Amino acid sequence: MPSNPLQDGLRIEPTPGPTTLVIFGATGDLTRRKLLPAVYNLSRGQRLPARFSVLGVGREPLPDDGLRSILADSLREFAGVKGQDAVAQSLAERMHYVGGDFRDGALFQKIKARLDEIDSAGGALFYLAIPPTIYATVIEQLGAASLSSQPSPERWRRVIVEKPFGSDLATARELNTITHRHFGEDQVYRIDHYLGKETVQNLMVFRFANGMFEPIWNRRYIDHVQITAAETVGVERRATYYEGAGALRDMVQNHLMQLLSLVAMEPPIAFSAENVRDRKIDALLSAQPLVNNGMTDVVRAQYAAGWVAGAEVPGYRQDTGVNPQSTTETFVALRMHLDSWRWAGVPFYLRTGKRMPKRTTEIAIQMRRPPLEIFRRVSPSSVAANLLIINVQPDEGISVRFEAKLPGTRMQLAPVMMNFRYGTAFGGGVPEAYETLLLDAMLGDPTLFARHDFVERSWELITPVHEQWQKENASSIPTYEAGEWGPAEADELMARDGRRWRTL
Amino acid sequence: MSESLLPSGVEVLFGEIESALAGSSDDTRRAGGTALTATVVVAGPADRLVEAATAIGALKDVGVRSVLISYGDNPAPDVRVAGHTVALEGLRPDYLNNAVAALRLSSLPTLVWWRGGGTEDIEGLATLADRLVLDAEDPREVWKSIENLARHTSVSDLRWARLTRWRALMAHFFDIPEVCAASSSFTTLRVEGSDRHAMCLFAGWLQSVLGPGQRVVPDLHEQSSLAPIEAVVLGNGTQQLVLRMAANRTCVQTAAEVPNLPSASRIVSLGNQQLAALLGEELRIRARDVAFERAVVASRGVS
Repeated sequence: MPSNPLQDGLRIEPTPGPTTLVIFGATGDLTRRKLLPAVYNLSRGQRLPARFSVLGVGREPLPDDGLRSILADSLREFAGVKGQDAVAQSLAERMHYVGGDFRDGALFQKIKARLDEIDSAGGALFYLAIPPTIYATVIEQLGAASLSSQPSPERWRRVIVEKPFGSDLATARELNTITHRHFGEDQVYRIDHYLGKETVQNLMVFRFANGMFEPIWNRRYIDHVQITAAETVGVERRATYYEGAGALRDMVQNHLMQLLSLVAMEPPIAFSAENVRDRKIDALLSAQPLVNNGMTDVVRAQYAAGWVAGAEVPGYRQDTGVNPQSTTETFVALRMHLDSWRWAGVPFYLRTGKRMPKRTTEIAIQMRRPPLEIFRRVSPSSVAANLLIINVQPDEGISVRFEAKLPGTRMQLAPVMMNFRYGTAFGGGVPEAYETLLLDAMLGDPTLFARHDFVERSWELITPVHEQWQKENASSIPTYEAGEWGPAEADELMARDGRRWRTL
Repeated sequence: MSESLLPSGVEVLFGEIESALAGSSDDTRRAGGTALTATVVVAGPADRLVEAATAIGALKDVGVRSVLISYGDNPAPDVRVAGHTVALEGLRPDYLNNAVAALRLSSLPTLVWWRGGGTEDIEGLATLADRLVLDAEDPREVWKSIENLARHTSVSDLRWARLTRWRALMAHFFDIPEVCAASSSFTTLRVEGSDRHAMCLFAGWLQSVLGPGQRVVPDLHEQSSLAPIEAVVLGNGTQQLVLRMAANRTCVQTAAEVPNLPSASRIVSLGNQQLAALLGEELRIRARDVAFERAVVASRGVS
């Protein structure tokens, strides 16, 4: 196919070719909260192709235009669209719906027929916004209906799979095997929305486009790394899923492992999907096992009643849909070591929890202190270690903490923070992660998606921890008060190394 | 001194500008500061600077230093400072480059937004700027020197920024394989609007991207009651690609009439066309805009 001469020098990045987005779980929460607003924003930003349609698939028997009212509700609630909106209206006209049982092959024949009617010459992106328990069923059905085969480059077929991809190493492997039976790895996009965030992408730019940081990005200058993903919310409406998952599976296996690999990876030889993903899996492969002779550096806990964001909140076991005797962890803290030349001896501390005092996700890189404290005698305050903080959410940006002299005739030191914020530095909006990732999948760029080996390696690290927990007393779990930074055991994990969690 | 450019600012001497900027205590600074990313210089006749000052005001939370310079005959103009913004009113244009050299942030890009005036001093500005954004009411004179200016810096034009969405929509049509395959067959182009210079630029752009061997004959229909660009119709006898301002005046209705293909009709947003938004777009572009330079050159043959 000849290249489009009009794209040359265009300020708006290239748009995908003709595409139909097929959303399985079209009436679900993810579709309403994230996917439809993302599609709308892409449309507003002129990032969608001239021939673009959405085919919603759900269990409910809705008419062909059933998705249109869902779109209207979704945009009103989650995209701030009020009243008549010409772009939303135009988008709605290109939205269709088919309903049926996901286990029924007839539904997939209907999907195939509708795809041919909507646009027989374009690509199709299947988005699995459905419970993980039926991923395999839908993938098998797509394959059986020949919906995974790509008759020509323009008629590409890709599938986006939401997390969690499996629930342990065995199920992840099984799901990969089933997926690869029908889709090539280049057709599979395992989504982790953290990777769509500007700051996470910027981490690679920060490291590999700045000559001043990479030389100190190693054990010689870095004391340790802290990665925190804290939420103020509880289990909300996800109790059924969360009860079977817990924080380790829900957050550590995917989001935190991705962040860790981006911090720890070696420089790729080029910014291409395979090079980047090769280096990321290398980093994860270098991780020491989390369970050694029955011992782990992993702390788990569950929130009890407390006070968060100005209101009293119940404990996890009192939340709707949660087993009153549940031992599911809502907080995890762990220490990891990487057996690599760069990181030998540098601990990576990871923590994540629900009902924390603040919603924040960040990577804090603490540098080693100066070898000699020459100001110790003249300054009453001690020297704080330099910190490099990568704020992932909610206020995306990078901060550097360093020591400065307090103004005055005395020599007094005080830490200062230099801040770079995406929200203000460049002006203009920062795209939502789902917008970036949806567009990348349509364009066929898998750089920001998890590859099969990364997912499996991540489960390989996590699964023994779960097995160890099961061996231990399964009827009890340490607790922390909602609105606090986790249990005392998490502080002890750091204290044993003479360190402490960063004040957030 | 007139307070029209920066009414909230404090009057300072030129030599005190840096200390006044450092001591300024707007909300952003109180909140812990923001990373600075560029200097934006706006230069132009006084009557064209008031509107620009409002647009610059919208950038107050963005990490830029803004410098507003209106032309006059004063070698020692009055200076006001507010937040990250400096205003010089009535500066003699031949000292423009000196003022910019003194006020731009070191080691960061400088964008000059040139709102018109004599073209004799613009080359001096171009040598100091990392990006020169033209914005003259009548751009014909300055467009004549585009090749020369482009030797010194990356050049663009706000008219070009206004065309971004129109160009993208036309390009989307060519993502359709059947349209792209027929790209060398388009011969007729009708452009309707009120801004003849924008219409010429769009026609020039199309001619430049569709290739020198192709003869697209532009047919420009100028009418003052219309939007700067109201409609674009590109045709080749069998295919017709239409972009037309929608009834709500904030969107464009697009339609591709291609035999044997499903309709590609839709309504898409034209985006924010306010000055501040266009300037924001320019600030996010750091590379040389060769497409613009070619479009300007090609537009000279459009009448």
